[in-house]
Amino acid sequence: MTNDSPKEQNSIPTTKVQRSAKFVTTGIKIGGNYVKHYSKKLFNPQMDKSELNEDNAADIYESLSELKGSALKVAQMLSMDKNLLPQAYTDKFSQSQYNAPPLSGPLIVQTFKKYFGKTPDQIYDKFNVKSSNAASIGQVHQAELNGKKLAVKIQYPGVGDSISSDLKLVKPFAFRMLGMSEKELDVYMREVEERLLEETDYELEVRRSIEFSNACANLNNVVFPKYYPELSSKRIITMDWLEGQHLREFLSTNPSQELRNLIGQALWDFYNFQQHELRAVHADPHPGNFMITPDGKLGVIDFGCIKEMPADFYYPFFSLTSTNLFENRNETLKAFKQLDMIHENDTPQQIEFYFGMYKQMISLFAKPYINNKFDFSEASFFEELYGFGEKVAKMPEFKQARGVKHFIYVNRTNFGLYNILHELKAEVNTHTYKPHVLQEFVEAD
Amino acid sequence: MATIDSIQTAYIDFVLTEGKQPNSVYIFAKQNDITEDEFYTLFGSFDALEQSIWTGFATKTIEEIKAQEVWSQYNTREKGLSFFYSFFELLKGSRSFATYSLKSHPKGFTTPKVLTGLKSNFETFFEGLIYEGIESNEISDRKFFTERYKDALWIQFVFVLNFWMNDLSAGFEKTDEAIEKGVNVTFDLFQRSPIDNLLEYGKFLAKNSGIKEKMGL
Repeated sequence: MTNDSPKEQNSIPTTKVQRSAKFVTTGIKIGGNYVKHYSKKLFNPQMDKSELNEDNAADIYESLSELKGSALKVAQMLSMDKNLLPQAYTDKFSQSQYNAPPLSGPLIVQTFKKYFGKTPDQIYDKFNVKSSNAASIGQVHQAELNGKKLAVKIQYPGVGDSISSDLKLVKPFAFRMLGMSEKELDVYMREVEERLLEETDYELEVRRSIEFSNACANLNNVVFPKYYPELSSKRIITMDWLEGQHLREFLSTNPSQELRNLIGQALWDFYNFQQHELRAVHADPHPGNFMITPDGKLGVIDFGCIKEMPADFYYPFFSLTSTNLFENRNETLKAFKQLDMIHENDTPQQIEFYFGMYKQMISLFAKPYINNKFDFSEASFFEELYGFGEKVAKMPEFKQARGVKHFIYVNRTNFGLYNILHELKAEVNTHTYKPHVLQEFVEAD
Repeated sequence: MATIDSIQTAYIDFVLTEGKQPNSVYIFAKQNDITEDEFYTLFGSFDALEQSIWTGFATKTIEEIKAQEVWSQYNTREKGLSFFYSFFELLKGSRSFATYSLKSHPKGFTTPKVLTGLKSNFETFFEGLIYEGIESNEISDRKFFTERYKDALWIQFVFVLNFWMNDLSAGFEKTDEAIEKGVNVTFDLFQRSPIDNLLEYGKFLAKNSGIKEKMGL
């Protein structure tokens, strides 16, 4: 959301062409699959549709990954969880968006008429029919009311349906690709589907945005736009237009170390306050969800994805990261078991192996917490992280799904945060909002 | 005094309550305190009356969209989309009647009789639009096909109408999707496309490479 965005607007038509081209090629491929199917069927009437569906799923999957749709999000997050975010994913991760063709002007008018009984012109003093940019599952328009600049987010129709059907479609394919069994994968898939579907509920998003921005109001250097529930509905959100730059633009202006630290600190506080005080966290640390305001504050603009952490996950996990629990092997084992990282029926060798690996993994993750200060510009930390991730990804032992479903979003959140801080090259005080821990956490339940 | 509107309203009320057309104009007129004469000055028959209701939907839609402030900023495609959206938004208020009317006139290969008036309004509107599009180079002018463009849109329209009748999604969101995707595809086909280039390339080759001679023709 930038005010000086002629560049962005100019870029829309090209991407529009590219996007529709992408859809057309997929359409042609799928059409081709049908032709193939029916010509085969001509000779073999008994043939069922399974081959056809497979062909289609493969093509759709291919195009979806290029289009970074909901399906890609799943594949990405699952592999992220297993691989601890190898370098190759980071780029995709930062741009992962639901890429749908932009809504036509008449459809926007229609959406307003449907939910408010009025056209945008009748609701706002000014409304720009050309969207200023794409949000994850919708697009953002600039509007004005009573002299206030507003951002109006409009959701693409049918996104909810397409998420569910996308997921159904890629499911069998993902099983094979990730080498997991259906039952193992299902738990994770459901978790992701749940979150993605929540993102499509704009009424929920407005409620949460207000809740979270109130709860976080006291944090230093973090600002939120004001939300207007009376101008929002199931498919439309109206909020204040935040002036400022996106992270990438901000970085290209060569900000001072001081300013970078300040923004980094605001980010760290924002996330850790939520994780440890609210036990529910903005789980989409996508750089596009943040703005740097002209007066040097962090603006947070999207509360579509919230992950709540239940106590039976929170205590074992953060007790491992933030205490010397590892010195007590029995308690550590108990924690690992509670987090489903070590299974009851594992052999002693397996226990030994996973114990060692997870200990290493969590120690790595916890590094920023150990001292009160951490310098995220340190490339060695990230190399170690990626290196470890790639090593793990190649291990057959990790072909199997382990760990409770909560890891998907908690990892995504924290590694996403680390990544942004790394891009910012910020040095951060990590003791501002500390995890609440239990030395013998298992008694907590 | 009976007006077109009042008779239409009374008729809609009757068919929706009874589930069928009145047995005779006499009965219908008597129930509504008008004379048969008054009825016949306005409509030739019940079918004609039903037809006029459908035509009314189209007229009203066109009036409405042209009155919108954004209308002048729309390109051809957006104007077309706007017609579709507004038509179905308007029809939502008379869904019961629309369903009754279309179901009671069995579908054949031709346009249902009740839609003939609407069709001619629709065609006039889109002919104008297509002409505008050709002027602005949004739509490519093709021999033989240009006159058929409006038919393609009409087929699209009938398709969306049937889709909408069977649409059970909340707020008929699926219909919105069908319109956005379907109408866009139709307009995509009207645009200059690789096929045009292919045909032209073919023509060029046929003229210049002496294919005919080589093939001994």
